[in-house]
Amino acid sequence: MEFGEIRSTVVRLALIICGLPACAGLAPAGPALDQLPMRWHDERDHAVTLAEFGGHRVLLTMAYANCHRICPVIIDELKRFQDVLDARGEVMDFVIVGYDPEHEDQTTWRQYRTRNHLPRANWHFISGTRDDTERLARQLGFDYWMYDAHVMHGSRVVLFDARGALVAVADPAKRDWAAML
Amino acid sequence: MRDVWSCRFHRGVRGICLAALIAALPSVAYGADSEVDKLARLQHKLDQSIQMIEALAARVHELEARQTAPGLAPLAATGPSDAGPRLETVEQKVAQIETSNATRRTDDTGLPIHGFADVGAGDHNPFNPGLKGFNVGNLDFYLTPRLGERTLALFELNFEVATNGSVGVDLERAQIGYQFSDQATVWLGRFHTPYGFINTALHHGAWISDALRRPKFVQFEDHGGSLPAHTVGAWLTGSDRAGSGKLLYDLYAGNGQEIVGGVVDMRNAGNTHGSPIVGGRLGYQFGSGPVDGLTLGLHSLSSRIDDDQIPVDVTRVNMYGGYAVYDTDRWEHIAELYFFNDRDLTGGSGSRRSEAGFLQVGYRAPWGIPYARYERASFKQGDQYFLQQSTGNSYYRTAIGVRFDIDLKSALKFELANTRDTDRVVDEYNEALVQYAIRF
Repeated sequence: MEFGEIRSTVVRLALIICGLPACAGLAPAGPALDQLPMRWHDERDHAVTLAEFGGHRVLLTMAYANCHRICPVIIDELKRFQDVLDARGEVMDFVIVGYDPEHEDQTTWRQYRTRNHLPRANWHFISGTRDDTERLARQLGFDYWMYDAHVMHGSRVVLFDARGALVAVADPAKRDWAAML
Repeated sequence: MRDVWSCRFHRGVRGICLAALIAALPSVAYGADSEVDKLARLQHKLDQSIQMIEALAARVHELEARQTAPGLAPLAATGPSDAGPRLETVEQKVAQIETSNATRRTDDTGLPIHGFADVGAGDHNPFNPGLKGFNVGNLDFYLTPRLGERTLALFELNFEVATNGSVGVDLERAQIGYQFSDQATVWLGRFHTPYGFINTALHHGAWISDALRRPKFVQFEDHGGSLPAHTVGAWLTGSDRAGSGKLLYDLYAGNGQEIVGGVVDMRNAGNTHGSPIVGGRLGYQFGSGPVDGLTLGLHSLSSRIDDDQIPVDVTRVNMYGGYAVYDTDRWEHIAELYFFNDRDLTGGSGSRRSEAGFLQVGYRAPWGIPYARYERASFKQGDQYFLQQSTGNSYYRTAIGVRFDIDLKSALKFELANTRDTDRVVDEYNEALVQYAIRF
């Protein structure tokens, strides 16, 4: 073993030991699509699983239909990102998980689609039980809480690759967020 | 080879190797051996270190291979005949971990604390025009413990500064409820009386509201409001689909309020006469078409309200009215109307009619939310219900303001207002207010 290799190995070991896998060139840790809660319904009231979206990349975020502060910004950014993908000829599924399944049913999301001019088939608005929604949010780092009918939440999208592995996290409220994906 | 290593070691890379050596062999002790023995021992230890590094490097390669193909490595290592049961075991473990994680927050990590706070400044206090300068608003804690699938609980504990400057702690809401279905929930406890829109949509957290403050007459009781903003009792509420929209309903009954010290008190522990407040609200929220985002509703309540005078004045307060809200990504318009037909139950002087209402329009621009509001309250001062309230006077107020969201959790609001008090003491004053509100 050459000294250069040893030094490289020692450095990598030190980084791993120090808990810096990203610095060691490893992918960000996180659950795969098939490790997330499975029971969801889309806005057409069809039962879906997140694992179904494997095959191409998946951009997942969370939203609530009555949000007038953050969610409209996120959706607008996703629309712009869709345009970029179209220009590149790339395919990606956009999955929007509802924060508040008790107040927002499939009809709510169908109306949301219409209102926001989101007819594309690769956009999926899904909702599940309160427990599954909370569990998915925790697994993917979506921090939120309810203030009566208001959802207090942040701005976040996560990207899964074609095999369903989580590969990136970004904040659509920040400039050039799409460059991180 | 060892000579080459030794040479390089002494030439300048000793830092990294020595660090690895020290980390791996913390118990190395040097005796009083000769230099030759010391060098030989050092070389031996270095050989051991190299072996260890090689083993660790192999382990790193293995881990990197697993990172590249997640889920495949365990199957490859055990062979195809072993794959099924092993995969099942892994799935079971994942399910166990997920279940554990799902229950951890409620079982192990306790109840998360969330809430709101605000501070401000102005040439008048926003709730007491007799005071000027800086002011502390609310520190509002909001707790919603998860108790089960159907049992709900909600507590709002507010540290607030009263209009006289004293700090008080108030359990603004204390509700325990049972959810029969998505269409019906019953709450018991202290809740915000369901009338109009603001009282049950924009609670004590200042951050949640686009405007710096509520219209004066729909403020909370201890901030100059004239309506019974809180009720202690039972509340049935829910909504259901009706056409493309939603039908919203509320029915409630609780302790009839009392005016104590010039302020409407919700009688947390019950009242002396046992007469209740009863009321309801019915609304329709449009879900599509040109009126998408519009909600229209009606509300009504009736309550026997005593005061703390001697002799006691007893008034049957009958209030009814309507509200309209247009709430979209671009606009937030709110209008509420209240009519009173209050009957004097003590002196038999008959009924007196009063009115109040406001219109607030707001525009959600990308840079901020400017708003304008007009409000008017015309309260008959012969009506003991208004007369005995320290802030039950009639007035006009016009206001303009703007909200800037600094980030996702904090907002800066400004408001300019002109107020004309039109009875009791006729007066007019202008206000310039600023508020810094956060959520956490």
